[in-house]
Amino acid sequence: MRKTDATVRRETGYIALCVLVGSVLLQAVFCLLGRWHYSVLLGNLLGGTAAVGNFLLMGLTVQKAVSQEEKQAAQTMRLSQSLRTLGLGLILILGVTLPFFSTWTTVIPLFFPRIAVMLRPKFDKKTTTEQSGGDT
Amino acid sequence: MLELAIGIILGSCALGAGMAMIAGIGPGIGEGNAVAKACEAIGRQPESKGPVTTTMLMGCAIAETTGLYALVIAILLIFLAPNLLVNILLNAIG
Repeated sequence: MRKTDATVRRETGYIALCVLVGSVLLQAVFCLLGRWHYSVLLGNLLGGTAAVGNFLLMGLTVQKAVSQEEKQAAQTMRLSQSLRTLGLGLILILGVTLPFFSTWTTVIPLFFPRIAVMLRPKFDKKTTTEQSGGDT
Repeated sequence: MLELAIGIILGSCALGAGMAMIAGIGPGIGEGNAVAKACEAIGRQPESKGPVTTTMLMGCAIAETTGLYALVIAILLIFLAPNLLVNILLNAIG
């Protein structure tokens, strides 16, 4: 079995952390609105796991693709994207149709990686500033 | 007449879901092109593999969200919208 690249592990860890923080906030919002139910937690677990799993699979595909020829890499990525979308579709159908998963808490965590990526430059800037401050 | 109205609602939802999934084609092509160019860049400068992979992962995550929006809209249109719209119709008729 191929060893997972350190970059992929680091980025997946960052995304997982952001999904965890976002999920806690989501649960808190549902508690504050007085609409918390066990289905909210289960839906959140399903959506959060799917989001992190999707990112990890994408990272593993990228790791595999960068060692291939250009054309083959593009095809590998397209195939992986189609299969991952199908998988996410199945998970979403489960989350929407089964009564013990809340629809909204299944759907919302899937967008947490996007928010994490949007926040990434701020963290990078902070780290760079701290490093340059330490150097001087 | 009611059956026709319900049929139009169901058909429109299915059509909308299908049209929404057209947006799912883009991310696959975009990610494929991004990875191909990254391979080229790494081939030229092998020492830049780490930063290139990180940037590409982040770019792919953003590209992927577009497809995800389409998927979510399509699934909500197929599984949630018909019941909701038919209920609205039945309530309006009384």
